[in-house]
Amino acid sequence: MKPLPLTFCKRLLLALLVCPLAFPACASESAEPLPSNFTLRGFGTLGATRSSSSQADFVRDLSQPQGSRGQWSGTLDSLLGVQANYRFSQQVEGGLQVVSRYRYDGSFQPEAHLAFLKYDFNPSLSLRAGRIGPEFYMQADSRLIGYSYLPVRPPTDYFSPLPFYHMNGGDFTLTVPAAQGLAKFKVFYGVAGEKVPTAAVGTWDFTGSRIFGGYVDYLQGAWQWRLSYAQLQFSQDLPVNKVRDALRLTGVPSAVAAADALTVTDRRVHYYSAGLVYDKGPLQAQLMLGHTMHESTIFENISAGYGLVGYRISSLTPYLGYSRAKSARKKLTTGLSNEIAPFAAMNAGVVATMNSHVDQSTFFLGARWDIQPNVAFKAQWDRVRGHADSVAFVQGEAAGWDGRTNVLSLTLDFLF
Amino acid sequence: MKMRSLILVLLLHLSSPAEAGELVVVVNAASGAGQLSRDQVINIFLGRFRQFPSGLTAEPIDQPEDGPLRAQFYRLLVDKQMTEINAYWARLIFSGRTSPPLKAKSSDEVLRLLSSRRGGIAYMNKSEVNHLLTIVFTPNHDQ
Repeated sequence: MKPLPLTFCKRLLLALLVCPLAFPACASESAEPLPSNFTLRGFGTLGATRSSSSQADFVRDLSQPQGSRGQWSGTLDSLLGVQANYRFSQQVEGGLQVVSRYRYDGSFQPEAHLAFLKYDFNPSLSLRAGRIGPEFYMQADSRLIGYSYLPVRPPTDYFSPLPFYHMNGGDFTLTVPAAQGLAKFKVFYGVAGEKVPTAAVGTWDFTGSRIFGGYVDYLQGAWQWRLSYAQLQFSQDLPVNKVRDALRLTGVPSAVAAADALTVTDRRVHYYSAGLVYDKGPLQAQLMLGHTMHESTIFENISAGYGLVGYRISSLTPYLGYSRAKSARKKLTTGLSNEIAPFAAMNAGVVATMNSHVDQSTFFLGARWDIQPNVAFKAQWDRVRGHADSVAFVQGEAAGWDGRTNVLSLTLDFLF
Repeated sequence: MKMRSLILVLLLHLSSPAEAGELVVVVNAASGAGQLSRDQVINIFLGRFRQFPSGLTAEPIDQPEDGPLRAQFYRLLVDKQMTEINAYWARLIFSGRTSPPLKAKSSDEVLRLLSSRRGGIAYMNKSEVNHLLTIVFTPNHDQ
């Protein structure tokens, strides 16, 4: 299955690049110079972030292996994206986006985040196929476009456990006028192809994991409401086989059952979320609530939410917000006695693999200053307050991690 | 005293051409589109739902980026500055969802684009409206 989407992406890339060169006439059929069907645009962020705690790496989300640990870091928010669009006809458009950002392997290796063809059956119904961004939550597919939103980055308490940015698949969008507003329905399906770093056990490959989801959205005047659901079915296991193998080898039924409960392959994770946006003139406000439910016992279920409000005064928009994330511990007993040394080691191994607790809140305060039409400077202060066992959203926590840090971020977001 | 009233008159004159009263939203007369509501114009120009009530697909056209009309239009329509409109479009363009309105390079090109597209819709000074165009909305009168 894997080579198929790759070939597709390559073909699309070729079509996008060749078409405007091969058919310069299709951009202007008549004598008058009409706007070109080919557009090349880009976006980027230059960021510097300093987290005060030297006991853990503060990261943008769990796709980053390292972040700021008591020092300034340029890797969290800095990125560059280039996008080509070609309009084949009024109904058919293709897009290709390549993004270079700090990723799971510590490199800035560019990756195709979009490579799709879009077909508009009519203004109501639209289909996309190829590589697209899955909209797990509202704005989940535009998280890297710093220029498009108010804070320096989407609140980490909410978006941290979402290290997926693209999938090979497709989506259907239906938009219909309803009452005084617009109702929008979307369904998407695809296969993931990304990896995430895991501190203890190396890289975890999501390649082949199936993603499915959809939302109902209602837009009226300044208000936008959305309910969404998405699920991901893991195709590959977390590399913690040793712990499970040891449990199975004991032959003790309860230990074997525990090993099964810790399995990730084919287990799903369900994302439920609700979003509310108010955007009128200089005032914008957002409220998002979400719940992440893991079928595998190895991960805890997380409830999270955030609120954000900003008000523009000339070219300056101060904003403030609050986010919170809390996970519920899962019980798993191996039935093996700690009094027997090898069993005690196994039990300790189980506890270590289930180390995904989060219980923290963040108050953030900042300002966006639109210096030029396509350049914005932002400064933000995050006050993260959590329990010492709130470790899921940071990387490489040391024994001294107390769940508290203050983060100062400066970014320059631009479009070109 | 005289001087002050003179300045006042001058200022009023200077500001009147750019004042809200002159700006209108027009369509190609062949579209057969009737009056549009503010929400319908917003839906078309912000790429939310590009369809006239008649069912015809709407093709919005923007005035040049450096001209004053564009900023004035979006301020009147949604009370947003151009930086906010750019931020809005950055989200939609770079998530591969919708393309922004066609960008004309001059106000003459706006007229040309309108005449060559049955579903064309644009905004301009009322004084520029010719017999091939129909006024469907006046932003400031709707407030």
